[in-house]
Amino acid sequence: MDNRAVEILGLAQDLGFGDVIVDTYTVNDLQVRFSNNEVDIVNQWRDQGNRLFLAKGQRIITTEVKEAATAKETLRGILKILGSTKENPDYGGIYGGPFTYAPTPVDRKLVSLDNPAEAVEAAVEAAGQEGAGSCAGSLLRRWEVHDLATSAGARGRDERASIELSIRAFADREASGHGIAAASRLEDFHPEVAGREAGEVAHQARKPVLGKEGNYDVVLAPMVFGALVDAFAYMASAPTVMAGMSMFQDRLGKKVASPQITVTDDPTDEAAMGHRAFDDEGMPARPVPLVEEGILRTYLHNTSTAKKFGAEPTGSAHLGDALFANSFLQPAPCNLGVSPGELGREEILGEVKDGLYLTNTWYTRYQNRITGDFSTIPRDGIFRIKDGELVESWKDIRVTENLLDLFQRIDAVTREAPQVRWWGEVPVPTKAPWVVVRKVNITTSKD
Amino acid sequence: MAMDWELAEFGVDYARGRGAQFAEARMEGRRVEALTLRNGVLDNVGSQEDRGIGFRVLVDGAMAFASTSLLTRARVEEALDGALAAAKATRRRHPLALAHAKAAEVRWGVEAKRPFADVPVEERLQSLLDLDGAIQSLGLETPGRLLEVSLRDYRRYLVTSEGARIRSEVPRIFFSAMLTAKDGSKTENSFRWLNYTGGWEGMEELGVDKIVLEDVEAMHRTLREAEKLPPGKMDIVCGPQVTGIASHESCGHPVEADRILGREASQAGMSFITSDMIGERIGSDLVNVVDDPTVAHGGGYYQYDDEGIRARKRYLYKDGLIHGFLQDRGSAGVLGGESNGAARTVAFNREPIVRMANTFVEPGDHSFEELVEGVERGVYIATFTEWNIDDKRWNQKYVGREAYLIEDGEVGRPVRAPVLEVTTRGFWSAVDAVGKDFYLEGGLCGKGDPMQGIEVSMGGPHIRLRGLHLG
Repeated sequence: MDNRAVEILGLAQDLGFGDVIVDTYTVNDLQVRFSNNEVDIVNQWRDQGNRLFLAKGQRIITTEVKEAATAKETLRGILKILGSTKENPDYGGIYGGPFTYAPTPVDRKLVSLDNPAEAVEAAVEAAGQEGAGSCAGSLLRRWEVHDLATSAGARGRDERASIELSIRAFADREASGHGIAAASRLEDFHPEVAGREAGEVAHQARKPVLGKEGNYDVVLAPMVFGALVDAFAYMASAPTVMAGMSMFQDRLGKKVASPQITVTDDPTDEAAMGHRAFDDEGMPARPVPLVEEGILRTYLHNTSTAKKFGAEPTGSAHLGDALFANSFLQPAPCNLGVSPGELGREEILGEVKDGLYLTNTWYTRYQNRITGDFSTIPRDGIFRIKDGELVESWKDIRVTENLLDLFQRIDAVTREAPQVRWWGEVPVPTKAPWVVVRKVNITTSKD
Repeated sequence: MAMDWELAEFGVDYARGRGAQFAEARMEGRRVEALTLRNGVLDNVGSQEDRGIGFRVLVDGAMAFASTSLLTRARVEEALDGALAAAKATRRRHPLALAHAKAAEVRWGVEAKRPFADVPVEERLQSLLDLDGAIQSLGLETPGRLLEVSLRDYRRYLVTSEGARIRSEVPRIFFSAMLTAKDGSKTENSFRWLNYTGGWEGMEELGVDKIVLEDVEAMHRTLREAEKLPPGKMDIVCGPQVTGIASHESCGHPVEADRILGREASQAGMSFITSDMIGERIGSDLVNVVDDPTVAHGGGYYQYDDEGIRARKRYLYKDGLIHGFLQDRGSAGVLGGESNGAARTVAFNREPIVRMANTFVEPGDHSFEELVEGVERGVYIATFTEWNIDDKRWNQKYVGREAYLIEDGEVGRPVRAPVLEVTTRGFWSAVDAVGKDFYLEGGLCGKGDPMQGIEVSMGGPHIRLRGLHLG
């Protein structure tokens, strides 16, 4: 473990801070962005720093010390600021250690990946073989190390590596498909599969016709359902409930989804991108059953919100940064998964006699966060289903729905649940199956 | 925070000496202080200083970027070695080229009447507490009150191998209010972003308290009195907030040249506009939408963009025709011509990409009363709650939050959640009168990969649209 975290912790305690969390991090990320089948730019980031959460009594603050040499000066300034603030009566301390952590397995081949463009070329080539003329997207290899030291005795190192490829293939201007390959091990990373799938959908999506409004039974592909699961899970963050901004207010123990739906935030899943050894309070990672067979079981908690709700912390604390203050140690999901269903992927379309198949979605926004009214815009392949077969390509529709109702109308779930993570639409790595939702409200532009 | 700004020149020279035909350094020091008040409780305090340097290098027609937050020569060399190697390993069939740019040597900034450093934390906190208290004093049940103020001081230094040397010092305020109003079992949400380029005086200049309190009253008025109208064709008077979001989403975004060229196709999406559509009609001849970084104190204000190009006002839609694109040096290198100063980056560790700044409909000649007088039956949509638009920027949706029925030229009772789902041409073609007032709302625009949420503003006057379907 890097000593900087412990040194800065000691400095902070010497200056009179009470509870202290120090996360000393090193980041080395590599990205290839491409469009029109060519590399636009290769981005590399090397970053180091020390994120801190500090409390003096009930006064709290989040900050960052870039270099250990400037820590004392920075912390003196922070102490002064803290003296000018007010107590937070909801602050309830940080999780007590010490603990033993299960380290995140890291694929060294992933860390030393030196020619990521090969994966991009493989994906583009595969998409082209399916009829795609042009592809765009990005490949991102992440590698980060976190050394955590807290005043409550937690000490730990967590090293994480992952790789994700997002490829959008165009058969023509109005016919596109989007593929994702996301993994924490190179052996599980198949960019050519993502490219092929994107190309297949693009080819099938040619000559789309304007979609029609109505209520349809809909098959949601993992990229669509993953986006909705992420939105669902963010609603479970306890501070969001406390702020009066969540549709899950007063719904603990109540039905919020179909009995076929179980959603877990599980950072202990070793094969998943969102694996963590510990959260930002140092609490050892544990699976968090958010929704079990349709029943909301818990909010996502840090130590303070857990005390307030009379619950157990869920190991979901995130330090964040000062650009957007949010809530302190805001609980957030990090590795979502939907429990597999019974159907095979090849069977799911057969569950719909007359409906739609949505392969991707974009720009999900709420009308009312308390009721869950929202809409989202399907993108890439949108297909009409008749008697289990894709019969027509559509375009220009919107899903206008209520998130709580929609989750309760899911009545088929596949066994397969690939891991997806994509840009801002599926921000949390999520193992999402294909699902069937009955009577989804589809709207269109009128003028 | 002392910084060795010479690292920028050092890095550019280093890159040029190792094969880069073009090199650019963007060095930054940023201080951010933020307060979050949740239902009257100081939920979080954030204070941090970031610093670092980012480089772009162009080698034989291929581009690479690298950044480091460790400001030493050794780390700069390490970052650049990585970028140069990556660029050299990239083979493009169509080599990238940057459009010509006049290298400027300039120092610019925005002077704060009240610099953030002069504003005690107690005062900042008290302003939020006072606002929260004022909301509660209205006596209207508002159980969700999330108020945040974030103060950002940016110091930047751009150096290019062409001789550009541009320093800037810019303070910015970002305020947000997320509110939930309740009446029995009914609820309404409001979400406002208000931003200002300048010092703490911006909180008063923006009229933050007035806007938030009026929103609370409007939400409760809606909860108490509003009914849903039956769907049908109506005339609409849009308030500046609605004018602004439409300008941003269905004009500003689709004219971003990098989007038109497909560079954002996988992420922020494409555009319905193609490079040969300049001059094509998109709206009535009353529609003039501009993007202007030089609007004083606008949320997206700047004098030089992040490639060192002088900022200027740009007509995007003019007299109802697609008039021009937002360009950076990369897109201009493909489309021809020169950049018009639209390259922005949120931080040293992000490549600059084409962004909006302050996007708005140019005011016309109608008073609000004149706009309304001309409506026999319609809806005045003052503010919106939900909005979205497809990635090609053609099909958009706006749901009114504060909205009123207009009958026989008079604004009357509140109406609940009027829904406008309309195409871009449908929206802009319906404009038949433009107000002479002007207001800019703040915004945080998301684009790029990794996502770059950047400060912008959007707005304009009230505008009137004829005969659109409201649901």
